[in-house]
Amino acid sequence: MTNALAATRTHPALRALLRNSWVLGVWLLLGALLLWYTTLIPVFGPFQITSITKNSLPLVYLAIGQAIIVIAGGIDLSLGALLLLSNVIAARFMEGQPVGVVAAIGLALIVGIALLNALTGYIINLSGVPDIVVTLATSYIWSGLALWILPSPGGGTAPEMRWLFTGSPSGIGGSYWPPLLMMLIPGLLVALWARTSRPGLTLYATGSNRTAAQLAGLNVRRAKILAYAIGGAMAALAGLAMVAITGTGDPRFAVGASATLNSVAAVVLGGIALTGGVGNVFGVVATGVTLIMLNPILIAMGVNSNNAQVIQGVLIAGVMMVGGLSAVLRERRS
Amino acid sequence: MSGETRIVTGRAYRAGKAQTWLAQNPLIALVIVFIALFLVTGAVQPNFLSVNGVRNTLLQAAPLGILAAAQTVLMLTGGIDLSVTMIATGAAYVAANQSPNGAGVAILAGVLVGLLIGSINGVGVAVFRVNPLIMTLAMSGILLGLFTAWTQTVLAGSTQVAPFIKLLGGGAWMGSVPYSVLVWGGVALVVIWLLRRSGWGRLIYAIGDNEIAVRLAGVRVWQVRLSAYMLSGVLAAIAGILLGGRTGAVDLQLAGAFLLPSVAAAVIGGTSIFGGVGGYTGTILGALILSVLNSLLTFLNVGQAIQQMVYGAIVLALAWGYASLTRRS
Amino acid sequence: MSEPNVLLATQGVAKSYGPVIALRSVDMTVRSGEIHALLGANGAGKSTLVKILAGVQSADAGVVAVDGRAVHFRTPADAIDAGIATVFQDPALIPDLSVAQNLRLSRIDMAHFREWLAWFDLAQLDLGAMVRELPLETLRIVDLARAVARNPHVLLLDELTAALTADQAERVFALLREWKGQGKAAVLITHRLAEVMHICDQATILRDGRNVAELATAEVTEHQLVEAMLGASIAPTGNAEHSRAERRFGEVALEVRSLSARHFVHDVSFAVRAGEILGLVALEGQGQDRLFDLLSGNRQPTAGEILVGGQPRHFSSPYDAVRQGVVLVPGDRLIALLPNQSVQHNLATPLFGKLTSWWRIPRDERPRVNRAVEQLSIDTRAASQVRRLSGGNQQKVVLGRWLVSGFRTLLCFDPTRGIDIQTKREIYSLLRELAAQGAAIVLYTSELAEIGLVCDRVLIMHGGRIVDEQDAARATESSLLTAAHGLEAPA
Repeated sequence: MTNALAATRTHPALRALLRNSWVLGVWLLLGALLLWYTTLIPVFGPFQITSITKNSLPLVYLAIGQAIIVIAGGIDLSLGALLLLSNVIAARFMEGQPVGVVAAIGLALIVGIALLNALTGYIINLSGVPDIVVTLATSYIWSGLALWILPSPGGGTAPEMRWLFTGSPSGIGGSYWPPLLMMLIPGLLVALWARTSRPGLTLYATGSNRTAAQLAGLNVRRAKILAYAIGGAMAALAGLAMVAITGTGDPRFAVGASATLNSVAAVVLGGIALTGGVGNVFGVVATGVTLIMLNPILIAMGVNSNNAQVIQGVLIAGVMMVGGLSAVLRERRS
Repeated sequence: MSGETRIVTGRAYRAGKAQTWLAQNPLIALVIVFIALFLVTGAVQPNFLSVNGVRNTLLQAAPLGILAAAQTVLMLTGGIDLSVTMIATGAAYVAANQSPNGAGVAILAGVLVGLLIGSINGVGVAVFRVNPLIMTLAMSGILLGLFTAWTQTVLAGSTQVAPFIKLLGGGAWMGSVPYSVLVWGGVALVVIWLLRRSGWGRLIYAIGDNEIAVRLAGVRVWQVRLSAYMLSGVLAAIAGILLGGRTGAVDLQLAGAFLLPSVAAAVIGGTSIFGGVGGYTGTILGALILSVLNSLLTFLNVGQAIQQMVYGAIVLALAWGYASLTRRS
Repeated sequence: MSEPNVLLATQGVAKSYGPVIALRSVDMTVRSGEIHALLGANGAGKSTLVKILAGVQSADAGVVAVDGRAVHFRTPADAIDAGIATVFQDPALIPDLSVAQNLRLSRIDMAHFREWLAWFDLAQLDLGAMVRELPLETLRIVDLARAVARNPHVLLLDELTAALTADQAERVFALLREWKGQGKAAVLITHRLAEVMHICDQATILRDGRNVAELATAEVTEHQLVEAMLGASIAPTGNAEHSRAERRFGEVALEVRSLSARHFVHDVSFAVRAGEILGLVALEGQGQDRLFDLLSGNRQPTAGEILVGGQPRHFSSPYDAVRQGVVLVPGDRLIALLPNQSVQHNLATPLFGKLTSWWRIPRDERPRVNRAVEQLSIDTRAASQVRRLSGGNQQKVVLGRWLVSGFRTLLCFDPTRGIDIQTKREIYSLLRELAAQGAAIVLYTSELAEIGLVCDRVLIMHGGRIVDEQDAARATESSLLTAAHGLEAPA
């Protein structure tokens, strides 16, 4: 038996590469898409980079939050509604305020919505109702609340806030490094934290095998609450990015619903299994950007927006089919 | 040997007899909730407590109930269909488009659309093992794009359905029993018969409970799954045609609002989202409860924001209540 | 030397699940420097008691005391903190994390852990390996080493040796001796009485949720332990012994020629006839699981062929195998059960395999199911959901599925693992009965004593190959073990 073990031993670096091959793959895919995009349009410069980066921010944040929750064995259909809530509160109360107040509101939103979603996690623990059902119900509650706070699109935010997420005080043009950093720093931090810290590993453990985690003496209930809190914080950040990009608040239910569904798609394409416990958060940053980029690419290719939507759906289903089929074949053959 | 009979009824055992009884017959609890909601709605709007009120509730509940039937069957297998509302909308469009050729052709065409899309979903989930959430979500996006494009081309102008479909969706038999409710009744009988009395129904429950065990028992699981998605597509199409008939005209938002309620109705009715447990009788009650709740919120005239919040809170409370009533330790 | 102090004690511990009483009242005392066996038939309450001591469930009544202090565990973490470390039947390791990450989560000192691993010649184990990629036996040892490295007062070992080789089990015992030498204690839950006599000092015996005896193993025989477990009313009988002379075999039911599966199975050929029970013996991980997968259509071979009734057949899924009458009782009964469905629905599942049977439920379903229930004497008091049945009854349901549908060749993978003596005997005599009625049976078992009791002929597998064939009547445990280790029999 010891011989068998020795035989399967691989170099740690190679193994790390193999285990994260999906993450590497989606980043390479994104790189290839970007390259292709530069050949499709006459001019590719900082303006395009800024535009792609900032427009991806809300989905990337939401996908990071969803990834953490899915890794911990849950799924949150209310993240889009929380995005709406953060978005409308920011738009309504930040308009015309000095930068200090705006920053305070922003931080308060991140903490407050994290707590709100921690409450959702607590309710899931307490009630024994599946995550998908509880968050389906809370998605109605939060979008209703958002609509109540801001009945119609409006409001605004401070130029500094817009600069932070878009690289320009007016939200038009501007430099690309603020949105790029705002995308990569949270993505890297969360991914690193989840993979190396004890609480982060506890999330993986809870999602991988809840019973085993419990028997090993881990607090799986606390892990779930923590995951939902992080998801809430990321949704709040997404709402802030949204108000910074558009300059107004938008309480429409459909905006939240489609954001939620896109976040789930980004997570799955990013190599995170919906069954929990598997995957790397950093991959979803790439897939989030990819999902947003598909539209301008297809339009640059002369495809109209309806067909672009069809192609996006076919691509998602197609990638998953290839993944599913290769898993089946691998299982059969070995 | 004593044998290890572990009849586990958990908390309920220690509680009162009434609660034990309810835990064993959770459908009774749903009936009580329904009656209570109905009476509260009557108190808010006295006109509601009439034959007309009952008829309106049923009329509202019929398309939801049929969509929720699709959701129930799939949830029993451990699946879900997020594309039901787009299938319904698409089927209604095609039915409207074919209406000049007569109602029969129109309905058949609509149902075939449902069958086709359901089959594609089924192949994705059953053969290619795509997670049902993702497969049907992607399908929903594809359908939205396709039908948005087609409304300007091949389906342009087909927003009016045939008179017979209008009658089916909005009319009433002998002026009292809505035809759509009769259709729903027929669907309900078929679905309940299939789930309880057919070999297929046994397999639906079985694969939701433990797919591997079913495979080892010599069943081709993919066939069962595929057929479930096909049925789901057909049911969604029927619901869409009824909806198109009720509103008389078809647009892309026709069924969109029913997606989350169709899942909620099944969940409230006690069907486990993980599969293997539940049934359509509970879902029917779930659909009725949600319809009355909708009426109540409309009568209260509190505005859309409060409506959404109350709706969400009550769905959560009902799911929670059902779970704690039937929980086993 | 002073009186050894009590490390773990229970007094009047009781637990009910709804109206069913699992534990009525259990008093147990575990002293320092003691290996304590916890014995009982299935359903006696052992697993419930383990769950309570490990903090998985809390008792309804009674006291648990650790090192003289009354404790109340709300979670497994509480039990670990109080100094009780449990090794469960299913290792409590996270499959998607590496061994090192698992240890980090449990706050285990790596150096200390490696010292204990060295006991098992596993000091070279690659801690960066994913738990999912390691074999079960290794995981059990990792789990044990982790428990020991927590440095608890009491080790609780639930059927630890079930999946281990004799050599590894011996190392576990050596570790336990060292452990008790340090003044610690261990509680062993096992079905293997030889182990109890070999390693344990004391034995507490549970029956019907009560402790009925505490015996010093040095003063009793195995028979006395069995009597205490079963109660005086059921004396052990040897009726499973069968007379071989009368047996006549029919046609070849299942034959394989040069069957191979990459890395796991190499060039396996054998045939089994109607009416014959063919035993298969192997150490853990010698390809027997894969061989059964190939025979049942669960996986496809890379080379070789399977013949049913003389005709070559290709099984692309279990569907094809079942249609040919080749059916499987898998090693893990949980993968073959529908936990939330009734006994009836579980038993009837194979009836609906063909598309043409999807429509109506056959009229004779009920009588066929009832016949199977009767033939197996399945306890139907909790028949509405099979997850409420005891392990033994669940195993009967798994077997019963094929009695309902009918079959020609039965593949049984360790059908008696973790099952009490009574049920084991029932399963033996059922297998004999089925063979007498003309079924061909291939039986893999990890309990060598079963070979002589049940089988006609036995194949021995090692490193993916069939290395020996013996007459079951003449095979001894030592001849089987010698061959299973890949050694030649002494001339």
